[in-house]
Amino acid sequence: MNLDVLIGAGVLAATLRLATPIGLAALGGVITERSGVTNIALEGCMLVGAFFGIVAADRSGNLAMAIGVALLAGMLLAALHAVASISFRADQIVIGMALNILALGLTSYLDYELYGTTGTPANLPAVPSLDLGPIGAIPFVGGAIGRQSSIVWATFVLVVVLQLFLFRTVPGLRLRAVGEHPRAAETVGIDVRRTRYWAVLASGALAALGGAYLSMAVAGSFTDGMTNGRGFIGLAAMIFGRWTPVGALAAALVFGYGDALSVSLQGADIGGFVFPVQLLSTLPYLLTILAVAGFVGRSRAPAADGIPYEPEGH
Amino acid sequence: MRQPTAQWTQGPAVPVVSVLVALVIGGIFVAISGHNPLVAYQALVLGAFGSPYDITETLVIAVPLTLAGLSVAVAFRTGLFNIGAQGQLLVGAVAAGAVGAALAPLPGVLLLPLTLAAGVTGGAAYGAIAGWLKATRGVNEVITTIMQNYIVVFVMHWLLQNGPMSAPNALGTPASAPIGAGAILPIVIPNEILPLSRLHAGVLLAAAAVVVFWFLLWRTSLGYELRAVGLGARAAAQAGIDPKRRVVLVMAIAGGFAGLAGMIQVSGLFHRVFDGFSSGFGFDAIAVALLGKNSPVGITLAAILFGAFARGGTIMQSNAGISAHLVEVVEAVVLFVIAAETIVRAIARRRGTPAEALA
Repeated sequence: MNLDVLIGAGVLAATLRLATPIGLAALGGVITERSGVTNIALEGCMLVGAFFGIVAADRSGNLAMAIGVALLAGMLLAALHAVASISFRADQIVIGMALNILALGLTSYLDYELYGTTGTPANLPAVPSLDLGPIGAIPFVGGAIGRQSSIVWATFVLVVVLQLFLFRTVPGLRLRAVGEHPRAAETVGIDVRRTRYWAVLASGALAALGGAYLSMAVAGSFTDGMTNGRGFIGLAAMIFGRWTPVGALAAALVFGYGDALSVSLQGADIGGFVFPVQLLSTLPYLLTILAVAGFVGRSRAPAADGIPYEPEGH
Repeated sequence: MRQPTAQWTQGPAVPVVSVLVALVIGGIFVAISGHNPLVAYQALVLGAFGSPYDITETLVIAVPLTLAGLSVAVAFRTGLFNIGAQGQLLVGAVAAGAVGAALAPLPGVLLLPLTLAAGVTGGAAYGAIAGWLKATRGVNEVITTIMQNYIVVFVMHWLLQNGPMSAPNALGTPASAPIGAGAILPIVIPNEILPLSRLHAGVLLAAAAVVVFWFLLWRTSLGYELRAVGLGARAAAQAGIDPKRRVVLVMAIAGGFAGLAGMIQVSGLFHRVFDGFSSGFGFDAIAVALLGKNSPVGITLAAILFGAFARGGTIMQSNAGISAHLVEVVEAVVLFVIAAETIVRAIARRRGTPAEALA
């Protein structure tokens, strides 16, 4: 067996490609859950981002506009979550499920209405790759990172920014306080609801960027349900990464590597034994269960995660 | 982490309002996209109930929805959120498909009960894992069951594509070997009377399961304890009921209902397992349980409604040219309105209607 199928430049490039949408969804999850709101509608936010990004690219022919519309779509879906779960204290899991179904139905319905069965048009403005010039010529390194999409690099930047924001700034501290002990946060003058609204909206935008990456950078088109559970893998990465941006990215890279292997090992013959590549895809979920159960490290959710907040005197 | 059981108010008003609101929003949606909503809904209703055959097709979908709905509801009643009905259904289907095919030569009197037991046990075991992790390690069952849903999908890919269950077939998708004739649930209305009818004896099993659900929860001391835990774990503990001990059992029962749904899809409908098998029932089941207020009659009615949506939507797309995905939009709004019951109440209050009038 060739070692390239395990650690070749092609596998590493694929790892970055596959980890990016998972990482973006996971970042969204970190922000919203750190504020105390569980948003399992990340999957739906990704899907509307993927779809409306393509529609806007088709209608406007303008890339910046398309990305903007994608982010807006994700934030709108997240806003529905915020209104129901923060203002009306609806069950966050049920709302999330409803929004996932809504996103799938809405995008599939509109896809059929707008593009029928022929699919979205070709030659839409795509998110450009970043050509690293001379670095691209270095053997191995060039193959792995020489021509990655600019969104891949943006994701790394976002991870650093969000890590610093959450753990090194006052607004970040406030956001975490709201997720750990909202009552205490409010007594020192932090607006719990407003903080949570912003966190949920941000999670929608981040997940939608992940969706736009899938449709506008990788595929160049939209197909029904194309996010295919990546929002949920993002949630898994968030948990496995212990609710921190850097941890979430690391987890996304591990999961992305597993995905890349399940492609590169396809049909690989290891001493007369065909490797069951499909089982590699179960790793993110298995590892996450083990992590939450404390068998692999210990992941602990923010204390007030998922609990609607009722202000005093209401 | 959170209390998953919202205590829905009594009476059918909120579910009915939520369905009406959803249909109106769906109609507006259809109108905006340039179709006539009345034409759409007429096609949908005719597709679901227009002929005896259409009604049986609606019921064919309502059967697994009812069972998966019971699965979600029994957990809800105990204060647990079973998002894993989908995964448990698939494990039940795989177990039933494996047993039904491996022991194919056996006569029906043996094979059918064995296949049924395999499906129920498979689903129950998968559900029990989530319960066990909750009871012993404090793992939120929402996380476990979400992850379990995906794990089983990829295990099925392997089993059917190049694993031990893969078998040559003409379906154009990886599938298992067919189950033995003895494992097949008979058609309820003979095709001489109703040509092409696919409605199988699974409908009787589902009806029996609804009765079991009712009996278990309202006529046994275990059911009393489970409901007490659901209404308030702390109060139940003070009454001498250990909520933790019940978690494994409840999740096993929930998984058993879902596993039965999977077994019925295999034995009644497809006679084998294939890739992409029965996707989505477990998720619709959450809406079914909530819309049916976790009650036996409510779940049955909600499952028939969602079965009608699914069957009618397909016909609406082919007859009226409106995407069947409209149905998902309507379903999502139903779920949203029920979850945000307080929104409905707030609107009612603002209008000066006492909230109790809606209850």
